[in-house]
Amino acid sequence: MLRHLIRKEFLQIRRNPFLPKLILMFPIMIMCISPWVMNMEVKNVVVNVVDNDRSTRSQQIVHSIEASDYFIFGGQKPSYRAALAEIEHGKADMVLVIPHDFGKDIDRGEMPQVLIAANAVNGTKGGIGSAYLSQIVTSHVMPTKAAFQSKVSTLLLYNKHQNYKLYMIPALLAMVVMLMTGFLPTLNIVSEKEIGTIEQINVTPVSKWAFILSKLIPYWLIAFFVITVFLILAWLIYGIIPDGPIWLVYVLAMLLAMFFSSFGLIVSNYSDTMQQAVFVTWFFVMIIMLLSGLFTPTRSMPSWAYATTYVNPMSYFIEAVRTVFIRGGGLSSIWHQVLALLGIGSVMAVWAVVSYKKNS
Amino acid sequence: MNAIEVNNVSKSYGTVKALDDVSFTVGKGEVFGLIGPDGAGKTSMYRILCTLLLADSGTVAVDGFDAVRQMTDIRRRVGYMPGKFSLYEDLTVEENLQFFATLFGTTVEEGYDSIKAIYGQIERFKNRRAGALSGGMKQKLALSCALVHSPSVLFLDEPTTGVDPVSRKEFWDMLGTLKDRGITIVASTPYLDEVRRCERVAFLNQGKIRGIGTPDEILTRFADIFNPPGIDHAQGGEVKNENVIEVEHLVKAFGSFHAVDDISFTVKRGEIFGFLGANGAGKTTAMHMLTGLNQPTSGTGRVVGYDIRTEHEQIKKHIGYMSQRFSLYEDLTVAENIRLFGGIYGMDDKEIARKTDEMLERLQFADHKDTLVASLPLGWKQKLAFSVSIFHEPGVVFLDEPTGGVDPATRRQFWELIYEAAGRGITVFVTTHYMDEAEYCDRISIMVDGKIKAMGTPDELKQKYNQPDMDHVFTYLARQATRSSD
Repeated sequence: MLRHLIRKEFLQIRRNPFLPKLILMFPIMIMCISPWVMNMEVKNVVVNVVDNDRSTRSQQIVHSIEASDYFIFGGQKPSYRAALAEIEHGKADMVLVIPHDFGKDIDRGEMPQVLIAANAVNGTKGGIGSAYLSQIVTSHVMPTKAAFQSKVSTLLLYNKHQNYKLYMIPALLAMVVMLMTGFLPTLNIVSEKEIGTIEQINVTPVSKWAFILSKLIPYWLIAFFVITVFLILAWLIYGIIPDGPIWLVYVLAMLLAMFFSSFGLIVSNYSDTMQQAVFVTWFFVMIIMLLSGLFTPTRSMPSWAYATTYVNPMSYFIEAVRTVFIRGGGLSSIWHQVLALLGIGSVMAVWAVVSYKKNS
Repeated sequence: MNAIEVNNVSKSYGTVKALDDVSFTVGKGEVFGLIGPDGAGKTSMYRILCTLLLADSGTVAVDGFDAVRQMTDIRRRVGYMPGKFSLYEDLTVEENLQFFATLFGTTVEEGYDSIKAIYGQIERFKNRRAGALSGGMKQKLALSCALVHSPSVLFLDEPTTGVDPVSRKEFWDMLGTLKDRGITIVASTPYLDEVRRCERVAFLNQGKIRGIGTPDEILTRFADIFNPPGIDHAQGGEVKNENVIEVEHLVKAFGSFHAVDDISFTVKRGEIFGFLGANGAGKTTAMHMLTGLNQPTSGTGRVVGYDIRTEHEQIKKHIGYMSQRFSLYEDLTVAENIRLFGGIYGMDDKEIARKTDEMLERLQFADHKDTLVASLPLGWKQKLAFSVSIFHEPGVVFLDEPTGGVDPATRRQFWELIYEAAGRGITVFVTTHYMDEAEYCDRISIMVDGKIKAMGTPDELKQKYNQPDMDHVFTYLARQATRSSD
């Protein structure tokens, strides 16, 4: 019986004018574009310089700014006000004001005051940008201090080159799984409700389990396919391969798929219209994503928000998949995330089956 | 001056010719019927008349305005009631009316005189959501919405499909009063009694006008389509003295509302049992309990020997069901649908393949085995849905308004299939709004306000209530209803 129902689902997916294209294009698009744009590195900060000194020293600072990867030299401005005006128009991000006699003061061993003004509308950009800039200035003013700083050694573990892509790709994997196994089956069931064919199925001897599995198995298989495409693309385009065992990545993805598809089924059991289903799913998905550490570190959330990560399957998944991907951890280092995912997923699955009613 | 002039209009969708050189005129204040089978091109014609669709060739003038150049003038003057959707189910009665008034730049107060006669009947429920209205009331509201801007021409595309006979009569009485006010009406309908209430009708088939004339002229000229000879009742199967459905004191309550209010009846094996009632009388709710979709609030029932409360999953193995909302998958082919439902009932692949060929052969439908269901005409879909619902040889088949919206000839073919099934020993439990179909049943019950008001053979009922035909019996009983108007 299940065989016939699954064949029907595949036929319907194939006949759908839109779905097969989406399934194929989605991982490709996400993989080709997102790692470049979902990027929190601070780069290309435009710096205006007001050089009141015009000495060799000040020129050296300007050259260092020009040479830096992080900055774009916005130009020399005659006055602080003129430079600020450019910030207000969004043409520049920072202003560096070098005072009169800057070079002379340094030579005399005094401590000249340099002003750095940063547009902190984007806090990260403003903060990190001004830190970089003051580093450059310091190295010119006090070479000894800079030399001392370089004595402090920072050892970057695992992601040695601080490659942000390596950090984001596991997160994108989570998004793909969510879309393929959370949204698609939900919309499929609700559309059967809207058309009325579900009533026909409900008066047949199809068991609850058979019906639900027939809706999930096709999308699980699709998710499996999409994940594979995804991993191949990560290797082809970015040369990124998981450091840990690849089967663990699949296990984690399938556990997450179990959660999201159960969640989708629960929503579809309680919704009568497409609009309702989409909205409710989207609402919860946003919360789950934002509180999961997908984009931001969970530790920096307020404690009440951090507490929710204990029931958020996405945050277990992200933690575990990053461990496998980046640190090369095996099952022994992620077993407790696996158990948590299994636990949350099972609860949701039971709820999904219980809330589907063939007879009310 | 003619209210509508259509000259040599043609319209194609790809290779399909929906309208082919259609010409007709409608006089001012006339009630004009546009009739024909499903897929004849009626809806395309309405859409062209309402300036929603551009004809490929030919000219159309409505109320003296050209449908291409002066479409805003036309849109201000016409009211259109499309077949399926014209109300917002989540808005209340009053909100719906206000919305349509606003669309035409008028207000309910301004247009009140033109809708008073109709809207007055439903004004008491103005705070009820349109989705919660019965079929007849929805129709009155839809008509009010189409009339609120005082149009001079009214287009009604099968407005009464799925509506019970009493509400239909009231609806056409209202159209009569509109005619008295000089409003031109163009309407289409699959019901013969409604065709007879038009002054002139045009018969459209496969995109061509086959004839225009008075209803009687057209109905006699195309009698093979509109007036097929009745089916010999003896074709039905032998009724055995064995109860397939037994229901005692069945109640289904939603809060304080008793949708089904204490009904008891039995249906015997091989019988064709007609389950009649006005919209909202509780037929579908009762059927949902019998087919194991809903639990009864109280009372007992057994279907093919199983309890409807506890053994509903057993019942589902032994019944077939065809709902009024179309029940095959449109994006699967004919053969794929059959295979799916055969598989669901646990038939093996060989048996399915053999029976599929046999069934399609019998329906003379073998050529369309691999056609998508979505592209079949409505009449064929219905025949196919019925054949699929009895594919696994169930003990009983439940049919919920199986023949809505198709012409008499197609309905007759459908009933031949029902008789064939009954001849094979399948009990048929059917609801319908066509009273000629009621006459085809072995026994019928008529539900009014959740209760069974009458039960017996069609002849017994006609005699008992001293009425000439089932239509009159039904009208007589259904007019006693208090609920549909409370």
